[in-house]
Amino acid sequence: MRQSFLLKPTFILYILLLSTFLVAQQNISGKVTDTDGTPLIGVSILEVGTSKGTVTDIDGQYQLEVSPGASLAFSYTGYQPQTVAVNSQSEINISMVIGEFLDEVVVVGYGTLRKSDLTGSLASVSSGDFELQPLTRIDQALQGRAAGVEVTQTSGAPGAGFKIRIRGANSISGNNSPLYVVDGLVVGDINSININDIQSMEVLKDASATAIYGSRGANGVVLITTKSGAKGPAKIEFETFYGVSKVVQELDFMTPAEFAAGVNSAEGTELFSAQEISALQANGGEDWEDRFFRNAGFGNAQLSVSGGSDILDYYVSGNYHTAEGTIIDQDYTRYALRANMNATLSSKLKIGMNTYFSRDENTGARANLANGLTWDPTTPAFNEEGNYNFTPLKPGVGNGTPNPLLQPDNNVVDNIDHQVIANGYFNYKILDNLEINVSGGVEQLNIARNSYTSLLVNNTGTAVVLNRDVNRYQNTNRLTYTWDKNPNHRIQIDAIHEQQLVTRVETEATASGFFGDNTTYKDLALGTVQRTDNSSNSESLQSFLGRANYSLFNKFLFTAAVRADGSSKFQEGNRWGVFPSGSVAWRLSEESFIRDIDIIDNLKLRVSYGVTGSQAIGPFATRSIPVVTPGVNYPFDGAGATIGVAPSSQLANPDLTWETTTQTNFGFDLGLWNSRVSLSLDVYKKNTTDLLLERILPSFVGPGSVVENVGEVENKGFDINLGLILLDKNDWHISSNLSFSRNVNEVISLVEDNEPLELGNIYYGNTFPVNPTRVEVGQPISAFRGYVFEGVYQLGQEDEAARYGRNPGDARYQDVNGDGVISSDDILTVGDGNADFTWGWNWTTKWKNLDLNFILLGSQGNDIYNFMRMRMMGLGAAQFHAVHADYTNRWTESNPSNIPAGRDGTEFLSSQFIEDGSYVTLKNITLGYTFNIVNKIGLNALRLYINAENLFILTDYTGYDPESTASGNSDVDLGIDFNAYPINRSVSFGLRVTF
Amino acid sequence: MLSIMKNITKYIHKVVLIVAVILSTHSCVDYLEEDVSGILSIENLQGQGDVTAALAPIYREMQQAYTHPHWGGVPTWGGDDRTTWWAGNKSPLRVFDRFDYGSGENSDILWLDRGWNSYWEIIYRANSLIEGLKTSTATDEVVKTADGEARFLRALAYFHLVRTNGNMPVILDGYTPTGDETRATVLENYQHIEQDLRIAEDNLPGPSAVVNVGRVSSGAAKALLADFYLTWAGWPVNDASKTQLAAAKAKEVIDMNYYELLPISELWKLENQNSRESVFSIQFSEQEDMRNGWPAGTNFHEARGWSDMYPELQFFNDFPEGPRKDFTFYTEIPQRGVRQGQIFVREPATVPWQESQRMHPMYRKFSISENTTVGNRTSGYRAFEVIRYAEVLLIYAEAQARIGENATSIEALNQVRRRAAGLPFNTPDPSVDVSTATVDEIIDEKGWELAGEYKRWYDLIRSEKLEEIAAKRDPAENVDLVRQPTKDQYITPIPFQAISTSRLLQNPEGFRIQ
Repeated sequence: MRQSFLLKPTFILYILLLSTFLVAQQNISGKVTDTDGTPLIGVSILEVGTSKGTVTDIDGQYQLEVSPGASLAFSYTGYQPQTVAVNSQSEINISMVIGEFLDEVVVVGYGTLRKSDLTGSLASVSSGDFELQPLTRIDQALQGRAAGVEVTQTSGAPGAGFKIRIRGANSISGNNSPLYVVDGLVVGDINSININDIQSMEVLKDASATAIYGSRGANGVVLITTKSGAKGPAKIEFETFYGVSKVVQELDFMTPAEFAAGVNSAEGTELFSAQEISALQANGGEDWEDRFFRNAGFGNAQLSVSGGSDILDYYVSGNYHTAEGTIIDQDYTRYALRANMNATLSSKLKIGMNTYFSRDENTGARANLANGLTWDPTTPAFNEEGNYNFTPLKPGVGNGTPNPLLQPDNNVVDNIDHQVIANGYFNYKILDNLEINVSGGVEQLNIARNSYTSLLVNNTGTAVVLNRDVNRYQNTNRLTYTWDKNPNHRIQIDAIHEQQLVTRVETEATASGFFGDNTTYKDLALGTVQRTDNSSNSESLQSFLGRANYSLFNKFLFTAAVRADGSSKFQEGNRWGVFPSGSVAWRLSEESFIRDIDIIDNLKLRVSYGVTGSQAIGPFATRSIPVVTPGVNYPFDGAGATIGVAPSSQLANPDLTWETTTQTNFGFDLGLWNSRVSLSLDVYKKNTTDLLLERILPSFVGPGSVVENVGEVENKGFDINLGLILLDKNDWHISSNLSFSRNVNEVISLVEDNEPLELGNIYYGNTFPVNPTRVEVGQPISAFRGYVFEGVYQLGQEDEAARYGRNPGDARYQDVNGDGVISSDDILTVGDGNADFTWGWNWTTKWKNLDLNFILLGSQGNDIYNFMRMRMMGLGAAQFHAVHADYTNRWTESNPSNIPAGRDGTEFLSSQFIEDGSYVTLKNITLGYTFNIVNKIGLNALRLYINAENLFILTDYTGYDPESTASGNSDVDLGIDFNAYPINRSVSFGLRVTF
Repeated sequence: MLSIMKNITKYIHKVVLIVAVILSTHSCVDYLEEDVSGILSIENLQGQGDVTAALAPIYREMQQAYTHPHWGGVPTWGGDDRTTWWAGNKSPLRVFDRFDYGSGENSDILWLDRGWNSYWEIIYRANSLIEGLKTSTATDEVVKTADGEARFLRALAYFHLVRTNGNMPVILDGYTPTGDETRATVLENYQHIEQDLRIAEDNLPGPSAVVNVGRVSSGAAKALLADFYLTWAGWPVNDASKTQLAAAKAKEVIDMNYYELLPISELWKLENQNSRESVFSIQFSEQEDMRNGWPAGTNFHEARGWSDMYPELQFFNDFPEGPRKDFTFYTEIPQRGVRQGQIFVREPATVPWQESQRMHPMYRKFSISENTTVGNRTSGYRAFEVIRYAEVLLIYAEAQARIGENATSIEALNQVRRRAAGLPFNTPDPSVDVSTATVDEIIDEKGWELAGEYKRWYDLIRSEKLEEIAAKRDPAENVDLVRQPTKDQYITPIPFQAISTSRLLQNPEGFRIQ
């Protein structure tokens, strides 16, 4: 294979070389300038395929004797290289284009590549794109800046997570998060990584780019490169900012008096007397929203020192970040430390080590908004003596939970995570064009979850101490062969062996029955009932990879890669998977017919095809494991429990194997007017087959589920990235970058008869007997299910209502199958949480020392199932009475509205609670001023800035915000809003000094 | 040119060689074998310990079905011994209370699947154990007893399913279900339930010989058989020949001379759980803080409960006065609040039921043993009576009455009546004793004696009295009926999850009697 691959270009080369000897020489001269016409000095000019060359003089002039039919290669640092065919010309004048857009080196899997040599689809975000904004999380840097990458902030809690999907979700049951690779090391968690240490992030999107990650590449790959020092004196940078945040919008509640009237109406009795209601009207009751939300402060400080010499470069940083939650009573603090170092020990040997340490503290029990906001508003949180009103003053009003302030006020939660990421490498040049790179790394994640439930809350006091250690070890051995002596034929071949081991160990100890709250979770021995639990598992992966890049005439670029992975998660026989890919790019702008078009300075067509895999299931997924939990123990004599061992809740499936994703990508990159306009468009189609599907079995089978390789999911769409430099003159710079992503997700097939699958419901436990979403052929993975709400039966519609056993005032639903009964057969797909498209528009403007940077984000066409509103309307198992302002407009004989007043026959899974979640938000805006005060006080520069996040959100959605939902990282429950932590509006002020 | 090619070839050879050297230093396959040493194997049940560990989860799941009135019992709200709060979150219970089902609708309501799921989980666990026992190395005695217990619990689970939801797929030991199963007939289900209970009654130890008070005895198996045969004799199979068997089994329990009735004032106390009146009961535990949800489920909100279940007015009014009525119902509703996390008694301590929030009397029998100190809702730890001796006596009385009452069967009825009146159950007393009783009278007596205990609904449908009883419903009830029940309301819809993931046909289409 390799031999024949090489033969062909070599043959062409041979013919070319031969031809040069047969023809006479010719003289050529010309002038090289930049695009403004300024002569460039020292541009190197080489006759392609030979060692003949020269450089331009002080006037940009050159002269050279070449063979007819030869091509000249012009290269100059900082500018795009150009190759020009001489033909019959005797004078060739060249205008060199600044190369920052094309000749950037980008990180690809297991190496780097000149951006111009890329054949795959990749989105690159570098620190330059976001360093003007004060950021604390990685998602802030990626969101809206990388086309084809959907980044969602899943919660407004400080330090909370985010969700990244690259070109849609492939897998139904498996994890759809991309693979995160930090400086070559695959890590499990990037939540705690300090964004300020990041030099660049490359998002690998198409199979040509991701297939090198084989069985873990299907969801795309995010390569994170941290900063390293540059040669020169030490550069010291200090930045700090402080700010305050608050939830963006509030919900519509009834006043306490309106609520009381609503209760009377629901109960059909005067639970609240007219006198009590007018008392509530005057004053009284409680504004629960006010109790839960607060203005929350946050701050960040970062100090970094970097520099280097010929031998050594270094980057050392420390970061402190602290933030209060906008909901009581959670706070977050992070400490981070990084040291990156590289040493060039000889011309052949280079070594380096990156280390990162972080400590995350998440403290405080969060108020439960679902219970709390729907709590009785007629009962003040505290009585006249200042003690809690534990229960509603009128029993059985609102909902059944105790005072919602009890838990956040009295419970203790200390969640402390430590993360260490350390990796080192040595790189040795065996030969001029052959090098070996051996690297090893470890990610250690220690998670401590400590909590204590106060006696005040549950009467017994319950302490839980949980420790989880997740260690990832990785060793990568790479050989790289490069042959680039002839610019017409550049070849790079990588051969890699990699092995990984992940171990997980967990220990949990709980105690209850405390006599006092003093020691909280810190002395479990004081509890009268104690229990311990532990578990451990591990997974390993062995991989062999090969990749070849070949550039022909600098016009045609070929990449072929193959990876073989063996995973311990699968049993013998199904363990190994092979994932090949190939791609071709044609740099049309190197062709004379394009080069003659002045305005085009870059045009490249790309095609790729490849297969990637996913092993996104947990260890032991092929096995059935007996259930050993306190939930299966039984007290045979009414006293102490006998330990029980129950048969597995999962059916074994030893035949499980890889989920495979086949992706085709067509794309082009276009640069116009010296790259003042740069456009990339990628069209793709991804098909994922042999889905690792956790199939829910009918309840009578016993085991609740089985993981099977069945079905197919398709994602297709396009990503567009448009960069514009609108003004770059004198004191002005205005540029913008628009990214636009459209992805259509569709389930193509499922189990043999394509019966829909009941999945999801992960976040709601047994809240809903019918899953709010399901997986159905022809629909996106997460399609909302519900009855079709048609309003309320009105007076005069008694007969129609009676046909369904209903009366005027009762909710009316569409009898879809017309059988005269509203039953689960009438449940339809009533929406879905997938956006039709998402976009981000980033603007950078500078005038002298003033800079203004902002990013607009949008999502269009995504539905939200607003279960928070459902509960606020007094529906669901946990709610007794409505609190939502809409309830004041409930149907009565005198108010023929379409809001059902009663609960009997009112479905909570219905289109009544589906809303359009489209939005546009000004995600981030920063205004800064840089003072250049070099000589005065030893500073290099001082920048002051003011920043606002989520300054406005334009949306019709009536919940807190359309972005954060309760679905977290799940794709099967996409777009469900229930007890979500809303994202915040924040304003901050900061400064950065550079020494 | 040729030298370039040669060089490339040479380098490739080197590359291949070096890669090969790197690879050969690792033995990859070892890494890829999953470490399963932390996983317990239950393929072979070795000794008594293994067997008990496998039994515990079956009992535990049965406990789950009985923990709260609305977990196993949602479909029984159509009985007149229970109604529910007309507002708040009780709409799933009201679906049954107001007969808003029968054509496949409301299979997707909350709580309906709780009992269903538990019963199938019991069947799965019991099947696994019965299968495992076939190759167990434990002693014959241990194997026999465990097999009997598993069969009893499996039969009880199937019995609940079949009389609630109708005919079920037959999934027994030695058969691995695929999910493609279809519904058998009620009769076919009856046959394997009978077989299980027959084996159980033969293999289980007598009530005095069980290892723990909570374990199933042969007395329990016989009592359940009696109940089961009486059901077989009634709707829907209506095989009158089973009445004789019901009487015979009940008589065998009586003739064990082990069981007795407790004084009504003693019966519901915590310390009298697992008494000689208990034939089979579900255990809870104060030591493990495993709570019985019945006190909370039956108390009104103002008494720190959930107002899930309380008696219908007509049922309460028909209930004969006397000590039994006093210990079955509260007519003065406790008034409680929460202060500093603790339940306290408010002023006034009680209000008459007519003035209470729910405007109904409240069940007392489940709350006599309540504990108001372990949470901010009332709770308890008393065992739940699944089969009481009083029921056995009444089954015998009814079965005999159907085929010809005799002195023993009238005595059985009179024992229950005497105890209800606060008299010694074994001493004839002309003030309460009857000399003859109709089947209807005995069913009424059973309704009062076992009020709220998951029995009334099944008595009403097997004897086809539901329509008659529902017609008598007090118009003052706050929950309005959607319709008067017919046979369509005898069978509960199968929970949505099972229908949507399998080939099971929903009721009424899928309902097959024989």
